[in-house]
Amino acid sequence: MSRAQAQEELRSIIGLCRTVTAGGVEPFAVDVDYILSVIRKHYPEIRSLSEFCTDAEAISELSGVLKRQDEWIQHQSTTLYKDPFLLSQQLMRMEIGAIADSFLRSWHPVLEMEQLSARTLAGSLVYWTDLLPMSMRWSQAEVAEVEAGTATIDEARELGIIPEEGFAEMLEASWRELGEKAGVGGRIGYWDWIGADTYQETVIRSYLACFMVSYGYADIVTDRFGENAELVHNPEPKAEPQRGKITIPTLVDYEEWRKWHRG
Amino acid sequence: MAPRVKGGEAAYARKARDAVHLLFFQHHRLPGVRGWELRQELGPEWQSVLEVLDKQLQPMDLQVTRVFDDPTIIEPTQGQLADARYYITLRGSIDQKTAKTIGWRVDDIAGLAVAIAYIISKQGKAPRVDVERVLQEKLPGWRVKMSLDRYIQQGYLGEDERGTLYMDWRSRAEVDQKQLVDLIMSFGKRAEAKEKAEEPGEQETPQPESGG
Repeated sequence: MSRAQAQEELRSIIGLCRTVTAGGVEPFAVDVDYILSVIRKHYPEIRSLSEFCTDAEAISELSGVLKRQDEWIQHQSTTLYKDPFLLSQQLMRMEIGAIADSFLRSWHPVLEMEQLSARTLAGSLVYWTDLLPMSMRWSQAEVAEVEAGTATIDEARELGIIPEEGFAEMLEASWRELGEKAGVGGRIGYWDWIGADTYQETVIRSYLACFMVSYGYADIVTDRFGENAELVHNPEPKAEPQRGKITIPTLVDYEEWRKWHRG
Repeated sequence: MAPRVKGGEAAYARKARDAVHLLFFQHHRLPGVRGWELRQELGPEWQSVLEVLDKQLQPMDLQVTRVFDDPTIIEPTQGQLADARYYITLRGSIDQKTAKTIGWRVDDIAGLAVAIAYIISKQGKAPRVDVERVLQEKLPGWRVKMSLDRYIQQGYLGEDERGTLYMDWRSRAEVDQKQLVDLIMSFGKRAEAKEKAEEPGEQETPQPESGG
């Protein structure tokens, strides 16, 4: 037998195995031993990469047939098994109305609901009102080239780039303020704490709140949906170096700040 | 009632309400919620909460249905329960008249029933051409192709790249496969029993003559 004929034989085996895998032929209608003997017979004649690939494909498809045989045995052992021939004969005997009736008696449709509540609609309207027009959102930022200069530490402090007091002092002051506002050991809404008259100040307060939590000056508790967060004042700062530091990403969005500011 | 018991009941009622929100409304592309999602929201006693909800839904003819990725699972492990998908389905069944009002023609229902029964008899998958051939015995060819596409689009059937049809998520969630196959197989017997019951005279039991 020529190599071309051998390849042809292997391809026909692959086709047969695929028909079984697709459910076109009963898995036990195929003689697995015979297929294996054909693959084995042509294996020593393999010379090229494409011939190797065909051989590997044949083995792979044959394993699919074995898997299907396993499924077939499992299926037969279930209460669901009914002779396919009898089942198809029965379907041919039945009228369309009777088949539909049988189906309806075993059909339990899934309940699906997609609904907008009045609350969602009201919230969406507020969002729409606050949404900036496209022309404003997509307007080109006006960028002007400025010449780089130098500044002293004092000048940077005056500009607010470097805080006037040390970072630790700022944290301590923030913690004391939290104690005054929330009460010693008390809790306060996250936005009630960070919210300030200007957006810039709000961002700074949020930044400090993160560090207060990380350094044990306060705790943050959220509900299970992560929507409502509260800061809890710690009467004694709990500096626990062993404790793993947690990071809680909080979005201080400008739109949200505006909404909060308007009340 | 002791306040502790009252508190426990209130907690269960709240959790059952949370379960309703999760199960009734579609949160993902497909309806249904995975077990692990329910566990995350309802806590470790999520399965008991589902049992309570199922009992509460009974008078409304609804039920909580669980579908495993692998339909052969009989005794599930905790991991398989967490991976299973949960739905709210109709507990009872609907008649042909109601089915029509929700957009199903009798041909469509029968076509789906035949396709599903044929696929079940072929251990869960069958070539599309074979299913088409079976359906064409009783339905026009153009309608068969259109119906199969509709069943695929609605999630009752799936089709792979080789043109093999299989039962998709909606069939596994909505159709009691065993009951369907049993009803089809017992059709002849049921029809005979019905005919016998309808034969005149057989239904009437002879009344004893009174008096003399």
